[in-house]
Amino acid sequence: MSAVFLAPLYWMVSTALKGHDELLEFPPTVFPGSPQWSNFRDAVEFIPFGTFFLNTLTITVFSVIGAVISNLLVAYGFSHVQWPGRDFLFYVVVATIFIPFPVIIVPVFILMAKLGWVDTFLPLIIPAWLGNPLYIFLLRQYLLQIPRDLTDAARVDGAREWQVLWRVVLPLSKPALAVVAIFAGVFAWNDFLGPLLYLQSEDNYTLAIGLQFYRSQYDVQFNLLMAASTLVVLPLVVLFLAFQKQFIEGATMGSLK
Amino acid sequence: MESTENTDLFGRRLTRREALERGGAAALGLTLGGSLLSACDIGGGDGDGGGGEVVLWTEHTQPELGAMRKMITAYNKETDSKAKVVAVTGSETDIAKLTAAVRGGTGPDVYLLDRFTAAQRAEQGILEELTDFMEKDDGVESFKDQYLEFAWAEVEFEGKPYGLPFDTDARGLWHNKDLLKKSGVDPAELDPAKGPPTVDKVREIARKVDKKDGGAYTQVGFIPWTDQGWHYTWGFAFGGDFYDESGCKVTPTDPGVVAGFQFLYDWAKEMGPKQAMAFLSAHAQCTGPQTCNFTTPQESWPFLRGIVGMDVSGDWPINWMRQYGKGIDWGVTYIPVPEEGAESATWAGGWSVVIPKGAKNAEGAWELMKWFAGPEGQRSYSEQTSHLPTVKSLLEDQSLFDKNHQFFRKLLDVAHSRPPLPVGALYWDELTVALEAVALNRKQPQEALEQVAARVQPQLDKFC
Amino acid sequence: MTDRETRLTLEVPGVARETGRPRLLRRRLGTLERRRLLTGLAFISPWLVGFLAFLVYPIVSNVWYGFTDYSGFGEAEFVGLDNYSRMKGDTLFWKSLYNTLYYTILAVPVGVIVAIGLAVAMNQRVREVSIYRAALFLPSVLPLFALSFIFIWLLNPRYGLVNHALAPFGVEPINWFGDPTWARLSIVLLAQLGAGQFAVIFLAGLRAIPTTLYDAAAIDGAGTWSKFRKITIPLLTPLILYDVIIGIGFGLQVFTQAYIITQGGPDNSTLFYVLYLYNQAFRYGDFGYAAALSCVLFVISLFLALIVFWTSRRWVHYELE
Repeated sequence: MSAVFLAPLYWMVSTALKGHDELLEFPPTVFPGSPQWSNFRDAVEFIPFGTFFLNTLTITVFSVIGAVISNLLVAYGFSHVQWPGRDFLFYVVVATIFIPFPVIIVPVFILMAKLGWVDTFLPLIIPAWLGNPLYIFLLRQYLLQIPRDLTDAARVDGAREWQVLWRVVLPLSKPALAVVAIFAGVFAWNDFLGPLLYLQSEDNYTLAIGLQFYRSQYDVQFNLLMAASTLVVLPLVVLFLAFQKQFIEGATMGSLK
Repeated sequence: MESTENTDLFGRRLTRREALERGGAAALGLTLGGSLLSACDIGGGDGDGGGGEVVLWTEHTQPELGAMRKMITAYNKETDSKAKVVAVTGSETDIAKLTAAVRGGTGPDVYLLDRFTAAQRAEQGILEELTDFMEKDDGVESFKDQYLEFAWAEVEFEGKPYGLPFDTDARGLWHNKDLLKKSGVDPAELDPAKGPPTVDKVREIARKVDKKDGGAYTQVGFIPWTDQGWHYTWGFAFGGDFYDESGCKVTPTDPGVVAGFQFLYDWAKEMGPKQAMAFLSAHAQCTGPQTCNFTTPQESWPFLRGIVGMDVSGDWPINWMRQYGKGIDWGVTYIPVPEEGAESATWAGGWSVVIPKGAKNAEGAWELMKWFAGPEGQRSYSEQTSHLPTVKSLLEDQSLFDKNHQFFRKLLDVAHSRPPLPVGALYWDELTVALEAVALNRKQPQEALEQVAARVQPQLDKFC
Repeated sequence: MTDRETRLTLEVPGVARETGRPRLLRRRLGTLERRRLLTGLAFISPWLVGFLAFLVYPIVSNVWYGFTDYSGFGEAEFVGLDNYSRMKGDTLFWKSLYNTLYYTILAVPVGVIVAIGLAVAMNQRVREVSIYRAALFLPSVLPLFALSFIFIWLLNPRYGLVNHALAPFGVEPINWFGDPTWARLSIVLLAQLGAGQFAVIFLAGLRAIPTTLYDAAAIDGAGTWSKFRKITIPLLTPLILYDVIIGIGFGLQVFTQAYIITQGGPDNSTLFYVLYLYNQAFRYGDFGYAAALSCVLFVISLFLALIVFWTSRRWVHYELE
C-alpha cells in the first residue's frame, strides 16, 4: 500500500533520470537504463529555475513569519485575554474555516487591483499576516493548555499583556507555532491559484506557475519537467522527514480535542 | 469613550498602559506588514514603468520569441530606445494575464494580440483607441492603405482602429513524403500542381499510413481535427459561412459548416474516436482537440517525430523544419476539397500590436508599434520566422519567400478570414467545444453546432 | 449555553470552561471591561482586518457585482437578475456544476474509505509502522501542481507506468485523461494521494479507543468484523464528519488539477465549477457573471455544510450508546 503511494514519486525520479530516447521507449522501462544526472542541470538551465525558486522562497518566508506572528497574537487574544464578546467572535472564526476560498476570488482580485498590488508578491503575503482561521483554532486549543495561574502570576507581577505573551506564553507554545509555521510554509510553497491570479510577468513567477508556464509555452521535455519537479518537491521531502512529528501532530490537532 | 477615561486616576493610568499594549499588538500586525511593502518591492520588483522604457508582452514562444527579441534589440539600437520583450502565459483566446494586469495597473505598453479578438477586447475596454496617434502622424487612411484589407478590418471596432496588424498566415495540408513512400503512397499524388486533393483521396492515403500495435495506433495517416484543423478550417473547406452580417447572426449551423463537422464525425468514427484520441494523448500529452494544436515545435508536434503522414498546419513550421526537421522530406498542398473540381478554401489569421489601457508609456509604445508592425519590423519577422507579412509592399517582394513559403503567400489571395466580432473569442471557444464533442463522437454535428448558436447569439445581440 | 457548546461538533473546550469567569468582572467594572474589550480586539486585530477586508467586503461586493454587467474596466452597470437568469440556460454552467458535484460525491466517500482502510492497516502494531505512516503521509504535503505533472506522465496511455503495470492483468490501455469517461475518475484518483493526511487522523482516533471496549466485546463473542462495525466505526464518526466537511470544501474548490492537466476537457468532462468561474472572470472578462457564479457557489457550499451538520446528529456518535 505504501508502495502505491510512493509510486508517483518513484516515477517522477525515474523519469527525471531517463535520457530522451529512453523516455519514448515502449514498453516503458521501470528503472532508467543509464541515469542521466545531467537532466537536472539541463532543467535548471532551460527553465529560469533560480528566479522561480527565489521568488517562491521569498513569498514562503514572509508568509511564515506573518502567519506565526499574526496567529499567535490572535490566538492569545482568544485564549488568555478576557473580554466580552470573545467567545462569540471565536465562533465566527471557526465558521469561516468552511468558506471555500474561490467564492471570493473576483472581489478580492478587484480589491488587490485597486491597491495596486497586482504583479507583486503582496497579495500572496499580506493575507498570511492577517491570521488564518484554522491556525487560530489550532493555536488557541494549544494555548488553553497553558495554566492560567502562570499568566495570572505574571500579571500580578505587573507584566503587561504583550509581556505576558512574550515571556510566558511564547516559550511554552513553540511546538504549536512550529506546526503553524510548517503548515503556512507548505501552503505558500504549494499555492497555485494565488500566483496564477496575481503574478503576470515571468520575472515574478513562482515555481508553481513557472513550471506550468514553461510546460505549456516552451514544450519542455518530460524528463526535464520531472527533474524540475523533483527539485521543487525535494525541500518538502527533507522538511517532512525532519519534522515528521510536527506534520502528523498538526494534522491530528485540527480534528481531535 | 473619552468621558470614561477621565473618571479616575486609576482608570487613566490603565488607559495609557492598555493603549501601549494595544499599540504593541496592532503595531506588530500592521507595521511589520508595512515594512514588508518595501521588502517586497525588492523581491518582486519588476518596478519599471518610468523613463523611456517600453514593455512589450507576448504569449509567443520560441522560436518566435527569439525573433522578436532580436527585432527589439535592433529597434533599440536604431532609435536609441529602451524597449524589452516579456513572455507571458496565454493562448489565442486566453488573455487572462493581460486582463488581470491591466485591471491591476501593471499592464505592458504594447501587447501582441491575436488579431481576430481585437474587436472583442476593444469592446471590453482593455485597448486604447489609436485614432489620435494616427492623426498626429500621417492620418488613419495612410496607415490603412499600408496593410492587407482583411487584416485592417480585424483591428477595427465600430469603425475605429485599435491596433496595427502584424503578421498573417495561411493553412495547408502538410505531408511527410518519406513516411508516405514507406507506406506505399506516391507523394506526387499530393503535388500542389495537381490542384487540391479530394477528401476521399486523402482518406485513401491516410488508411495506408495508419499503423496499429495491439489496438493502439503507433502511426497515423491523418487526424483532421488536430493542429490547425480547426472548426474554421473545415467549415470554410466545405463552403460554410460563419457569420451573416446583414442579420447580425452567427451561423454555426450553416449547411457548409455542418458538412465540415460531419466529415470530422465520420472520420473519427472510422478511426475509432477513442483510439485516435489515445494516439494524441500518448504522443502529444494532449487531452482533446482544444489542447492538441501545436504552437511550439519539437516534442509535442507529432509531425516532426515522423509518426504522422498528413497534418493541417500553417506557414510558420517552415522555419521549424529548417531548425528541427532532421532531414524529413516534406511537402505542402491545398486543404482537401469535398469533391473533385471544387475550389479549395483556407483561412488567414495572424496577430496585431495594441496599446492596453493604462500603458505607462503610450507615446513610446506607439513609436515602437509603428516600427514593429511597419515594413522594417515585419520584414525582419518574416525572414526569421517564416510568418507572412500584412504589409502589402512586402508581399510583393519575391525575395522574401522560398518555394514553400511562396505557396502560402499565394494562398493569401484567396484566403478567408474569421469574422471580427465583438464576441470573436467566445465564438471561437464555443466552436472548439463543439469540435471536441464531434471529434469524440459524443454529439452529432447539428446538435453540437446548435448549442454554439444558443450560447453565442445572446451575447452578440447586445451589439446589434 | 454551555450545554449546547459542548455538543458542537468542533470541540471548543476552553470556551465552555471559561465563560463563567469574566461575568463577575463585567458587572462590577464597566470601564475596565471596556478596556479589556479594546485590548482583546487589539490582539485579534490582524484577524479582524483580514476578516473584514478579505471576507466580509468580498462577499458583500460579490453580491453587488452579481447584479451588474462588469468587465473589470470602467463602470459596473446594474442589470438586475440578468446574470442569474442567464445561468438557467447556460449549459456549461450546469455541466460544470454537475462535474463538481459528481467529483465531490465520488471523491469524499472514496476518500473516507481509503483513509480508514489505511489507518486500520497502519494500526497493526508492527515496528515499521512509522515508516509506513511517513510514506502514506508524504504525498499529501506535496504540491498539487507537481503531482499533476507527475500524473500526466504516470497515466500516459503508452509511456505511463500505470497502464504498463495493468497490462499483465489483461487490461487494455486506458486513455486516462483523454477519454471523457475516465478523465473525471482520474482526477478523483489523483485526489486519493492526499488520503494519507486523513489516515493519520483516523489512526490517532483508532489509538484513542480504549482496548477494554474490544475486550468486553470479545467476551460477548463478537468477531473482528462486528467489533469493527459496532465499536470502531461509531467511535470514528466525529472524525469522519471532519473529513467529510473538509472533503466537501476541497471538492467544491477543485481547480489546479483540471487547469494543468486537461484545461476542462475532453468534451468538458473536467470543466469544474471554479475553472468555469475563472474562465468567465479572467478569460472573458465577465466579472459580473463570475460574481454571480461565486454567490451561487457560496450558497451551495453553505447548503451542503448545513445538510452535513444537520444529518450528523443521526450518525455521529461521541460515545457508544
